[in-house]
Amino acid sequence: MTEISTAQPIDAASAPTSGQRIRAGTQVYMYVSLIIVAAIVVVPLISTALGGFKTLGELRGNPFGLPTEWQWSNYTDIIISKRYWLQMSNSLIIALLTVFLTLTFGAMAAFCFAHIRFFGANHLVNYFLIGLMFPAATAILPLYIRIRDLGLIDTYWGVVLPQVAFGMGMSIMLFRNYFRNLPSELFDAAFVDGCGYMRFFWHITLPLSRPIIATVGIISFVGSWNSYIVPLIMLNSESRYPWPLGIMIYRGEFSTEWQLVLAFITLTILPTIIAFFLAQKHIIAGLTAGAVKS
Amino acid sequence: MASVELRQVRKAYGALPVIHGVSLAIEDGEFVALVGPSGCGKSTLLRMIAGLEEITDGEIIIDNAVVNELTPRERNIAMVFQSYALYPHMTVAENMGFNLRLSGTPKPVIAERVAEAARMLDLMPLLDRKPAQLSGGQRQRVAMGRAIVRNPAVFLFDEPLSNLDAKLRVQMRAEIKQLHQKVGTTSIYVTHDQIEAMTLADRIVVLNQGKVEQEGTPMELYKKPANLFVAAFIGSPAMNLLDGTVDGDGGEPSARLGDGTAIRIAPDRKVKRGQAIKVGLRPEHLSPGVGGTALAGQTLLVEPTGAQTHIIFDLAGHPVVAIVDGEYPARYGARFEANIPAEQVHVFDRETGVAL
Repeated sequence: MTEISTAQPIDAASAPTSGQRIRAGTQVYMYVSLIIVAAIVVVPLISTALGGFKTLGELRGNPFGLPTEWQWSNYTDIIISKRYWLQMSNSLIIALLTVFLTLTFGAMAAFCFAHIRFFGANHLVNYFLIGLMFPAATAILPLYIRIRDLGLIDTYWGVVLPQVAFGMGMSIMLFRNYFRNLPSELFDAAFVDGCGYMRFFWHITLPLSRPIIATVGIISFVGSWNSYIVPLIMLNSESRYPWPLGIMIYRGEFSTEWQLVLAFITLTILPTIIAFFLAQKHIIAGLTAGAVKS
Repeated sequence: MASVELRQVRKAYGALPVIHGVSLAIEDGEFVALVGPSGCGKSTLLRMIAGLEEITDGEIIIDNAVVNELTPRERNIAMVFQSYALYPHMTVAENMGFNLRLSGTPKPVIAERVAEAARMLDLMPLLDRKPAQLSGGQRQRVAMGRAIVRNPAVFLFDEPLSNLDAKLRVQMRAEIKQLHQKVGTTSIYVTHDQIEAMTLADRIVVLNQGKVEQEGTPMELYKKPANLFVAAFIGSPAMNLLDGTVDGDGGEPSARLGDGTAIRIAPDRKVKRGQAIKVGLRPEHLSPGVGGTALAGQTLLVEPTGAQTHIIFDLAGHPVVAIVDGEYPARYGARFEANIPAEQVHVFDRETGVAL
C-alpha cells in the first residue's frame, strides 16, 4: 500500500501509447532487416578489401577473417604502378565525358518534354524510354558498325557516345519527372519577369535541380565506371583501357595471385564509393522527388 | 501607369468555352477587383491579361496598344501570385532585382531600386535572406516588392492573400491598399473573398461561369445587385432569399410569402401583381424596433460575435439571418421580431433572377 501511495503519478504525456509501442516494434524489425540487407551487400566488399591484405595461402585458408599479417605491399605495388594511374585516367576521362554529355543533353531534352507542348512529344518520350529496356550488349554489333563507320574505333568517343545514348532514357525520365514537379507558378513568375525558355532553364530550373543533377550524374558515372562490354568492343589499345578491362588483363597476368586481383578490384571501386557518399544526400532526394506533396 | 481594356475576350480549351466574351474598361490608376466563385474564370482572365494564357478571341489593350501577341515582359505588367512564386535559391534582394537583371539594368541601379522598394515594404533587414527563412506575410511582401521594383504599367494580383491566416490577411489587405495609394498604379485584383474585394477595390467586377454578372463600385453592388447571383455573393452574411408572390395594389405592393406573411416593398420596383419573385433581405437590415414591416418567428440559433449577434429565426418555414446589437437579449427558442423598411427589400424575378 505504501508503495502505491508514494508512487509518482503517471504523466499522461510521457506514458507510452500503443502507437509508440507499435513504432518501437516496427523500428526493431526495420533495423534487423536493414542489418541483414547491409550485411549481404557489405560482406563481399569487406572480404574483397581484406583479401587484398592477405597472402595467397591465408586467403585460401581464411577467406573472411582479418589478415594475421597485413600485406600493405599488395596495395602499394599497384598504386605506384604506371598501369594503375593510366587506367584510372582512362576511366575518369570516359566517365566524366559520359556524365557531362548525359547531363547536358538529358536535362535539355527533359526540359522540353516537361514544359513545351509540341506534336508527337509523348511518342518521342516513349521512344527514349524504350531505350531503358535494352542494354548496350543487345545492340553491340550495329553499334560497332556505326562507331567504325564514324571512325571512332579505339577512341574515347567510341565508348562515350554509346554510353551517353544508352543513358539517355534513364536521364530523361528522371529529369522530366523532376522538372514537371517544380511549381508551375515559378514558370509564370519567371515569364512575367522576362525569362524565355532558355533563361528559365538556366536561371531557375538548373539551380533548383541540384539533387536530380547529382542523381543522374552519379548513376551515369557509376554506369560508365563499371561498363565492360562497350569498351571491350570499341577499344583495341591497352593504353586506352579503363579499369574493367584493366582488371581483366590484370587477372590474366596474375591468375594465381588472387590477393593481388582483390587488391586491384578494391582500388578500382573505391572512387565510386567515395563519389556516392559525397553525393548520397542529393541522390536520395533526387530519386524520391515528387513522391510526396512538399 | 496605364489603362486596360478588354474587348469581347473569349477563351476556350478545345471545345469547352470558359470565358464568354468579356468586355471591360479599367481606367488609369484604378483598382479593380474580379470576384466570383471558384471556377468562374477570374484567374484565367487575369492570366490572359498577363500574357500567360493565350486568348481565343477578342482584344486586350494596355496603354492604348493591343497586346494580344506580346509576351508578359513586353506588356509591362507585374504579377503577384497566390503561392508567392519566389525563387527559392535566390535571396530577397535577388528575387526583387531579378527582372531588372534580365533586362540588363546596371547593378547600382538595381541595388538602388531594390532598396527603395524594400524601404517602402519594410523589407530592408530581410534582403539577404532566402524565401525559406521568411514568414508567409514577409514572403508576400517580397512578392509585392518584386512587382514594385520594375515600375510596371499594371499590377495583377492573383488571390495574393489566400495562403495567409485570417489575422495576417487583414494586415496585408491594409498594406496592399496603402501601397496602391502610394504608387497609384492600375491594379487588377482577383479574389473569391468578397470582403477583400469590397475593402480594396474602387470597382468590383462579379464573374460567374465566364461572364460578367455586374460591375460597379462596392456600394453599388451592395445596394443594387443586378441579379440573384450578385445579391447572394456580395454581403456577409449573405442576403436571405425567400420565395414569394407580388400582392397588393400598384401603389403599395407587397411580397406575400408561403405562410401568408406580407412584406412591403418599395413602390418604384417594377413588379406585377401575382408575379413569382424572390425576396431578398439583408441580415443587417432586419433590426428590432425600426420602421417598416414587422417580421417575427422562433429563434433557431444565436451566434454572438462580440459587437454583433447573428440570430437565425424561422420565417415562413425558412431560416433567416438577422444581425442585431451584441447586447440584444437573444435566446434560443424565444420569439424574435425584426422590422425592415420597404426600400431595403430587394426583389428579383424568380425565373430570370433579374432585379426588379
